[in-house]
Amino acid sequence: MKMMEEVIVEITDLKKNYGSKSVLNGVSLQVKKGEIIGYIGPNGAGKSTTVKIILGIEENYFGEIKLFGHDISDGNIDYKKKIGYVPEIAEVYDNLTGQEYLTFIGELYGLDLDLADYKAKSLMELFGVGEVYYSRIASYSKGMRQKLLIISSLLHNPELLFFDEPINGLDANSVMIFKEIMSQLSEQGKTIFYSSHIMDVVEKISSRIILLHDGKIAADGTFEELKQQNTKGSLEQIFNQLTGFNEHRELGSRFVSVVKEM
Amino acid sequence: MQDFRTLKLLDRFERVFNSFGVDYKIMRKILQVKLTMDGRRVPTIFSQNAKKKDQESNNQYLKSLWIYVIFGLFTIPFVLMGENYLFQMSLFFGIFTFFVMTSMISDFSSVLLDIRDRNILFPKPVNRKTISTAKLVHVAIYLSFLTIALVSIPLIVGLVKNGLLFFLVSALNIILIDLLIIGLTALIYLFILRFFDGEKLKDIINYVQIGLSLMIMVGYQLLIRSFQFIDLSVSLEPQWWQVFIFPMWFGANMEMIMHGSYQPFYLLFTALGILIPLLSIGIYMKFNDAFEQNLQKLTYHGKAKENKKGKLRQMFLKVICHTKEERAYFRFASSMMKNERDFKLKVYPSLGFSIVIPFIFIMNGYNTNFNELSTSKSYLTIYFSLIIIPTIMILLKYSGKYKGAWIYRVAPIQQLNPIFSGTIKAFIFKLYLPVYLLLSIVFIALFGVKVMPDLVIVFINAIIYAVICFMVLKKSIPFSESIDQYNQNSNAGIIFGLMLFVALFAGLHYVSTLFSYGIYLYMVIAIICLAALWKQAFNITWTKLMG
Repeated sequence: MKMMEEVIVEITDLKKNYGSKSVLNGVSLQVKKGEIIGYIGPNGAGKSTTVKIILGIEENYFGEIKLFGHDISDGNIDYKKKIGYVPEIAEVYDNLTGQEYLTFIGELYGLDLDLADYKAKSLMELFGVGEVYYSRIASYSKGMRQKLLIISSLLHNPELLFFDEPINGLDANSVMIFKEIMSQLSEQGKTIFYSSHIMDVVEKISSRIILLHDGKIAADGTFEELKQQNTKGSLEQIFNQLTGFNEHRELGSRFVSVVKEM
Repeated sequence: MQDFRTLKLLDRFERVFNSFGVDYKIMRKILQVKLTMDGRRVPTIFSQNAKKKDQESNNQYLKSLWIYVIFGLFTIPFVLMGENYLFQMSLFFGIFTFFVMTSMISDFSSVLLDIRDRNILFPKPVNRKTISTAKLVHVAIYLSFLTIALVSIPLIVGLVKNGLLFFLVSALNIILIDLLIIGLTALIYLFILRFFDGEKLKDIINYVQIGLSLMIMVGYQLLIRSFQFIDLSVSLEPQWWQVFIFPMWFGANMEMIMHGSYQPFYLLFTALGILIPLLSIGIYMKFNDAFEQNLQKLTYHGKAKENKKGKLRQMFLKVICHTKEERAYFRFASSMMKNERDFKLKVYPSLGFSIVIPFIFIMNGYNTNFNELSTSKSYLTIYFSLIIIPTIMILLKYSGKYKGAWIYRVAPIQQLNPIFSGTIKAFIFKLYLPVYLLLSIVFIALFGVKVMPDLVIVFINAIIYAVICFMVLKKSIPFSESIDQYNQNSNAGIIFGLMLFVALFAGLHYVSTLFSYGIYLYMVIAIICLAALWKQAFNITWTKLMG
């Protein structure tokens, strides 16, 4: 894989708290152009919060975030034009039709209506959901919605992508298409942040894995590096080890014993 | 979860249900859950001003019944009027049918069309008959509340005036009508679902809800007045087409029994009145499976047609919105207004009301002489159509899907200016202008072509008014807050203050008509004001919006 040495994301000592509860306790990382970062961690570790801060959805943080070499706190929001985002919880104006929603999003990113319409329609068709393009999003199945969100994040040909559980609800074939899209995008020099709880997928697609635990980075490196450091076979096991979780066997058997009670 | 008195009453019929092969204990559990859920729902009739509260055990629906009690009071004159039962009782049953039917469609649709039953209950070891009976009983419980609220007082009045026989026959008729309505509504749904998909049905239900809200708003104004128009001495001659007006079936049997006149015409109607309700319920029971099958279509959606973008429309859009961003927000806002059912339910009744209210005032002023009207200045009552603007301007920031607003934060939006100007233009041209044009046509018909310049001025004033409202009211990104937060009363003070502007516009307009060419001067001044205000109004930054 060719690595261009341009730094796209640079986070220094990022801290964030909600009231007295601190979510991020000093996260620092650098991401170079073309990397696919597997961004993992247990529930509540602060993955989504990091992404939301970078995107400007969350404010009032401490530390410094530089995207494409510019500090995002300076009020200039041009950098958002180069970002695509698929949120974990897909809240959309689902009383609109696919066409109405996607062209609106395209126009928000500065595309012309006709271009946005053409791109959205073609991408929907390629993703196998062309027939619902003119239907209300409310009537979509979970997979269709997810495809719509993926498309809405890519319409403006962004440089940096944040995918939060993007394959949620997709069927196996669509997942294969999506993986292919990701690897081709990365070859084109797009940088991808990929958050997921499905460890096998993260293990396979990521060029580098960052594990967040209790608002701090617990591990950072390629899968091979993590394996050497932790002497474990799969990413799932590494995940369990690094987050200090080893009670699954006991919890499982207690669960089943309660199930058996009648 | 509390235990319901209704269910305790139902417990007495446990044996009856069991003998039909219904598992009563399970059915009771299902009903208990459903009644609890209903307690957390707001009925259409209240949706105009209710804010959802998180109160357990407080069924909003039951609270809304007093409105039906009042509407019931209005039907008392039909019971008291005279002995022309065919006419007066047909009207009585007709009004009853209207209220029960609209309320059935607007508030019980969620019960009849609940597909969660299928997904949640069908996989469980509960027999189908229990599930479908629970559904029917659920509807029946509410329908009986509604019926009692509507007719109990008029029927007691009837009992006193016309005797026990009258009371019993009426009560029986009411029950038959209820059965007919359940059967009919279900069959209408079955029919619609057979040919259209779920979105279409939801749209139809939405429009019925809008119609009901509007009828109730207008009803307050018109009901009392309407009694002047009813001629008490009307005598109905039997006509063949009356067979299709089903409230007359029930009026006919009243006439027949109370007066003992057993004509074939009355006998036919009476027979229809007994047979058809039983038949419709029978058909509903028989096709219940088909109904449940078709309910699945609520989640299935066929391919929708591409809506063509008209060249003319594109040109028009280019004229009214100069920048690309503004056009994007204009299109977005218009599709939201067109598609969002919650928004429509709150806004469209007011829009309809704004058409009616000028005429109510005209009617008040000119009950007798219509000739005077065309030469008067009553056309200024068209200013009453402006009073809905503040409410809608407030509503523009709400949406049932407000959570979708994260895109505003994620997208590279430099200027907020086009968001607001595009949305307001969409409101003016997509919602207000059609209503206003309709009003204008009627006004031109009433007052002659000479009022056209005045109508233009009123429209310009309407835009000025919308901009003023926008400047005065608290600003938020459109469609970004939960529509449940909307509370009419909290804004009452501001809205009342804003109404004074309408009075000002109308007053100036009146003064301008006193001079020759005065209105043209007024028009020029209004256009200049509008241009100046428009420049100022939309300079808003993110920081101002947050603070």
